[in-house]
Amino acid sequence: MLGDIASVIVDGALISAVYALIAIGFTMVFGVGGVLNLAHGALIMAGAYTYLSLVSDSILASVTLHPIVAFPLTIVIVGLISYGLYVVLVRTIEENVVITFLATIVVAIAFTELVTLVFHAQPYQYSVVPGVLQVQALGTRILYVELAAFVASWGAMGLLWYYVTKTDSGRSIRATSMSERGAMLTGVDVSGVRARTWLVAGGLAGIAGVFLGGIGAAEPTMWLEPLALAFIIVVVGGIGSIKGSVAAAYIVGYLQTATGQFLGQSVRGIMSLVVLVVVLLVLPQGLYGTEFVHE
Amino acid sequence: MSDREQTGRGIGRLVGRAESVLRDTLLAQGAGVVGAVGRPAERLLWPVAERYNRRLGERFGEVTGLQLLLLVVAFGGLVTAPLWGQDYLRPLTLGAVWAVFAMGWDIQSGYTGYISFGHSALSGAAGYTTGLLVLHLNPGLSLFVTVPLSILVTTVLGLAIAVPSLRLRGPYFSLVTFVTVLLFYRLTKALSEWTNGLRGIRVDVFTYDLTLQYYMVVVSMLAVAATLTYVGRSDVGTVLVAIRENEDAVSAAGLDPTKFKLWSFVLSAVPMGIGGVLLAHVNAGVDPQTFVIVDNSIQMIAMAVIGGMSSILGPLGGAFLFVGLRDVFLVGLGEELRWLALWLLVLLVLVFARDGLFRLLWRALGALGGDRR
Repeated sequence: MLGDIASVIVDGALISAVYALIAIGFTMVFGVGGVLNLAHGALIMAGAYTYLSLVSDSILASVTLHPIVAFPLTIVIVGLISYGLYVVLVRTIEENVVITFLATIVVAIAFTELVTLVFHAQPYQYSVVPGVLQVQALGTRILYVELAAFVASWGAMGLLWYYVTKTDSGRSIRATSMSERGAMLTGVDVSGVRARTWLVAGGLAGIAGVFLGGIGAAEPTMWLEPLALAFIIVVVGGIGSIKGSVAAAYIVGYLQTATGQFLGQSVRGIMSLVVLVVVLLVLPQGLYGTEFVHE
Repeated sequence: MSDREQTGRGIGRLVGRAESVLRDTLLAQGAGVVGAVGRPAERLLWPVAERYNRRLGERFGEVTGLQLLLLVVAFGGLVTAPLWGQDYLRPLTLGAVWAVFAMGWDIQSGYTGYISFGHSALSGAAGYTTGLLVLHLNPGLSLFVTVPLSILVTTVLGLAIAVPSLRLRGPYFSLVTFVTVLLFYRLTKALSEWTNGLRGIRVDVFTYDLTLQYYMVVVSMLAVAATLTYVGRSDVGTVLVAIRENEDAVSAAGLDPTKFKLWSFVLSAVPMGIGGVLLAHVNAGVDPQTFVIVDNSIQMIAMAVIGGMSSILGPLGGAFLFVGLRDVFLVGLGEELRWLALWLLVLLVLVFARDGLFRLLWRALGALGGDRR
């Protein structure tokens, strides 16, 4: 029992960091452009498959990179995919919320088919950091990949925090999400800010994708779960709030790990839905958010 | 501005120019030819249309002569399909079932702008109610029992989703419906002692006579289409569209938007129930892959988008076009490539013709008539 509790505490802390990373990207894109990017899950999947193609010799025989090289390269590639998605597609339709909404989910589904076409439907297992850490004192064990995911996620969040509070380029992102008109009046290039946000959100999704694929497996349906999680976390934390996303990611992460451990894996998602409904009814603006209003 | 951004803008400009060239040359000439044939035809048909408008126009919308011709030809084509398309009866039957889904989605999401990703959970609920009743209660249960019960369960589930989520504005509703579908899918696996998991439940077909089955489905579809068109053109439909355009204005007019949104969900759940039952019997079974998965909700949305959201008959046409491409015309491309092509088509419609292909066709036919009214 003690071991169970310890493993919930440790596992919850580790996986919640990745959840936070997913939710932050999702909420940032919403914050600056009012766009709910339903292709965010697809970007996560792109991260997993890009990394897989770069390190494994079974996909692209000519390309086998060391993980140290492949990891940053994956982040850049997914960031650029996200950027491209904004510039080519979303920018032309973003004035209509509903159309954008639908277009991004169609992109996600189309991407699933593309992945199935290229990589086929079977799941690919790959290891990012092999090995297991036994914690005798707590009677639990930690996969190194989970530990690496935790470190990388918090590292990325730290860098992001530095970026959005200390640099002009990052602060203009926060300014735009607070008040678009205010940002415009102080000389912020709002269009550029949006594109930059998509780039950053894509990079974060890339990191999350590498580790989610490493902990589970890379498969064409792997985008659904993270996307649903991002929804739940963002609603609980308050749409548009980075701080709220981190807090809510830990609430949802712990809740999922605990229900998975004590009530069984099949009810894992149900608790999150219950929380989602309760939050919607009691605290519709979330922990740290203002309610989304159509303009 | 960075280089990449310039490239992006450049692409946008290029597409824009191609579009205008297309419009100026090809379409203009095409319109000339079509106009030369269309205008006399319109003059010929106008008296008939006028008679229709006088009797039914108020309830189902006024039409011009050519628009009426389109409706009559489409209706005639559907009714006589077993004579000319015996080989295509199966896709046509499926098209009619999906048309029910697309129209059901449209009266709720298309009209109010509260986009639901959860409609496959509703059709799944209907299919599974029928399946579970047949499997666990009595295999010989009459359709007169299973069909109303399935529709009832679907409506109750619809309200259970709608009541907590529709009080909220904006994207929350969509988020909840999306999560609901994922959960429903999980449940079909978690409760596999009851639902047989991925294998699903076998259900008897209505009849082995494909022609009879086709007519059963098409008649149901036409009934749904007529009812929803009537509702869409009524005061209720006007309020639903008003909610999409400006919810505050609806409140200010003394109408409770939440109440209307809930009603739109009921209006939507009933067709979803009908469609779910039809699909269960046409497919001779119900399983998560053909009913519940979120892709199915997206397909309904895609049909409505291709046809033209918030027009009821647009999604109907969109459904036949989508199923036709999916099951007949693009089959040669192979599984993944076919879907990729379909989704790209939907994306193109969303970006370049967001009003939908059938609404464009409808307007073009109307414009040929000139300014008569």
